[in-house]
Amino acid sequence: MSSVEAAKRSAWQQGARDALPLLGGYIPVAISFGLIAVQSGFSALETVLISALIYAGASQFLFIAMVASGAPLLLVLVMTLLINARHLVYGPNIAPYLSNSRWWPVLMHGLTDQIFALAHTRLPQLAEKDRMGWYISAALIAWGSWIIGTAVGAVAGAEITSRWPLLGEVMPFALPALFLVLLAPRFTSVQWSLTMLVTIVAALMLKLMGMTNSAIPLAALSGVALFYLVQAKLKAEGKIHG
Amino acid sequence: MDKSLWLLMLACALGTFLLRALPLIWMRRHLVRRSISNSNEAMPVWLTVLAPTMIAAMFGVSLVPAHPGISSWLATVLGGLCTILVWRRTRSLGWPVCIGVAVYGVIVVVLS
Repeated sequence: MSSVEAAKRSAWQQGARDALPLLGGYIPVAISFGLIAVQSGFSALETVLISALIYAGASQFLFIAMVASGAPLLLVLVMTLLINARHLVYGPNIAPYLSNSRWWPVLMHGLTDQIFALAHTRLPQLAEKDRMGWYISAALIAWGSWIIGTAVGAVAGAEITSRWPLLGEVMPFALPALFLVLLAPRFTSVQWSLTMLVTIVAALMLKLMGMTNSAIPLAALSGVALFYLVQAKLKAEGKIHG
Repeated sequence: MDKSLWLLMLACALGTFLLRALPLIWMRRHLVRRSISNSNEAMPVWLTVLAPTMIAAMFGVSLVPAHPGISSWLATVLGGLCTILVWRRTRSLGWPVCIGVAVYGVIVVVLS
């Protein structure tokens, strides 16, 4: 095997390894989605297609809930896209690390919250030639687990949740654990640490207040506002320049 | 699903895909237009700040347990602490997450 092939394989393996922690969060939620969708009157095939094509957790739950309650179709479309609007900022943030390949825009179908968080940390650490292999590998693992989890939930979700009730409670902790590991290296200065802490607490409080769908963009924007406030204060005190 | 629901589902899928792909295409063109050697400098600053805060917000939201209670909150705190301690030793992704989930699971099982 040539060194180029070895490097390529290792980028794919690295992507798969990095995406493995996502399974703990994706599969239980996908099983829940499959179960709820079937209980709402969707067939198993329709449920799997929703997961494969829309591929955005929170908006999928909203989609089936609104359709099942007979909401106007245009409203369902608007609400689905509104919830997913946070994805607007993901692509531009990883753009500097991507080649000019025309495949990259197509691959953005796999750019979920978690894949973005992984990619934003990992892509800058990889050589340019390894980035697409890493991304495809990680995104395929995540997408595949979401689809398979949905299918399992649609076919046998009720049995699984009654037989292993703790599974759905314990495994999703993989997501906060993963986010924590991705965030830890960013506590590099007082300004960043304060911004991160305030954003985390704001998101937590908003979620506890029931604002599940708007918590992420609102908390993130409050974090950005705080970042600029701290920067202005530090500039005024002469501690930073520019 | 009838025909209108299929169309709705496809519209939601297409719209979500475009929300992910179009901003990337826009930024690539923006970077090419600026055509400077260090592309990070061509990124709007607010956008580079927004990315980590989005991840921090996802973390905050994901901290709330599926069934909030004393045992699940305690498990969240201790699971998080173990995750960060293992990360400080290994500086890797996989082990900290595995240990964090294991600690979380043990506490939930023991206290439930």
